Amino acid sequence: MIRFVPFTADWIEATRAFNCRVAATGFEFPLQPAEGSYLAVDGDTVRGAYMLRRQGFHFHGDEAGVAHFRLPLSEGAVNRAYRSVGVQLLRHAMRQYPMLYALGMGGMSNPLPRLLAAAGWRLAEVPFFFKVVRPFRFLRGMDYLRQKRPRRLAMDLAAFSGVGRAGVRLIQPAVRGALGVECIEQFGAWADELWRSCRGSYACIAERDTKTLNKQYAETKYLRLKVANLGWTVALDTQMRGDANFGDLRVAAIADTLAAPGAAGDVIRAATAYLERRAVDLIVSNQMHVAWREALRGAGFRPGPSNFVFAASKPLASRFNDSGQAHINRGDGDGPIHL
Amino acid sequence: MPATITERVRVIAADLFHLAPERITEQSSPELIEAWDSVQHLNLILALESEFKLQFEPEEIDLMKTIGDVSALVTAKVGHRR
Repeated sequence: MIRFVPFTADWIEATRAFNCRVAATGFEFPLQPAEGSYLAVDGDTVRGAYMLRRQGFHFHGDEAGVAHFRLPLSEGAVNRAYRSVGVQLLRHAMRQYPMLYALGMGGMSNPLPRLLAAAGWRLAEVPFFFKVVRPFRFLRGMDYLRQKRPRRLAMDLAAFSGVGRAGVRLIQPAVRGALGVECIEQFGAWADELWRSCRGSYACIAERDTKTLNKQYAETKYLRLKVANLGWTVALDTQMRGDANFGDLRVAAIADTLAAPGAAGDVIRAATAYLERRAVDLIVSNQMHVAWREALRGAGFRPGPSNFVFAASKPLASRFNDSGQAHINRGDGDGPIHL
Repeated sequence: MPATITERVRVIAADLFHLAPERITEQSSPELIEAWDSVQHLNLILALESEFKLQFEPEEIDLMKTIGDVSALVTAKVGHRR
């Protein structure tokens, strides 16, 4: 019979064996025991695992404890005899934290989003936007769009004839006259003031105070961009190598943002202009809130298909009616890990 | 005469798995019903909780190997409530 235990050092070898059995899923459970990690065990054998990470969320300024339902892995994914483990993981997590969310998940049609939808969670794709900065390199190197030969030929033709460049410049013009940005080492007291002043403007937003930001964005790979006293963005500038979607393109991501909704346009334009000057090939961003989506459109971004899903349990979803008023982006959940 | 718990469970399962009720037996299991995957397992649990006004604990869900097991568990929980 399945029972739940916290993940401690005693369970590392059994978890390693579990990872081997579920290797076909392409996922593995981290072997470092941590607070909030739980195992579903049958005797001495691990059959499932998940993590909960508590986060402060604000709903129009009112704070509440929410937990991120992370990496649920069930042996049921590879063995039908354990099909109930996924449901048990979800139930066990809900019992600990009714206000749960999950993020990413690779798209609505995958098993986890389908399970969460069946459980009555509210699911929404976090809209994806992109802006081509260097059309020639984009047309020649965007492997996701070049999988079929006719399209590949068309993209090559557009690249070498100059038509592609002209077209991109027409529909995605470079940003002009944007505010300057300051590339900062750390977030300071000003970020706390900003956080306090604008958190009440969002129907749902995870904690973005100075302490949280300096912990989450400590690594040097992050570009911390302060835009006057209006807001900030955290961006990444990544040289891809043989990526399935982006090939060898240099891709920038506007991963996280904060400003009052009315200042989103200025902040996105400033960050976009900065990244354009760095001569990246492409800029991408996922943003849920309508003000940030409009800001991206205003800076020349265009929407594309999103596989980044935000799922809120019923108790969490009851705290805000409109997902478009929630400030969710790649900075949430595990943070911007892929770009 | 009111339907028994077992009969009500069979009707719920038949509706969920798009099968005639007579095709649902006490031995029916995920191995025998193709549509009984993890999502449908959750749907079955939710339907039972709604029908019988009860809540299953995570550990109890593991006991639901067959329709007979499901009926026995529901019967025990309903009996315990009385």
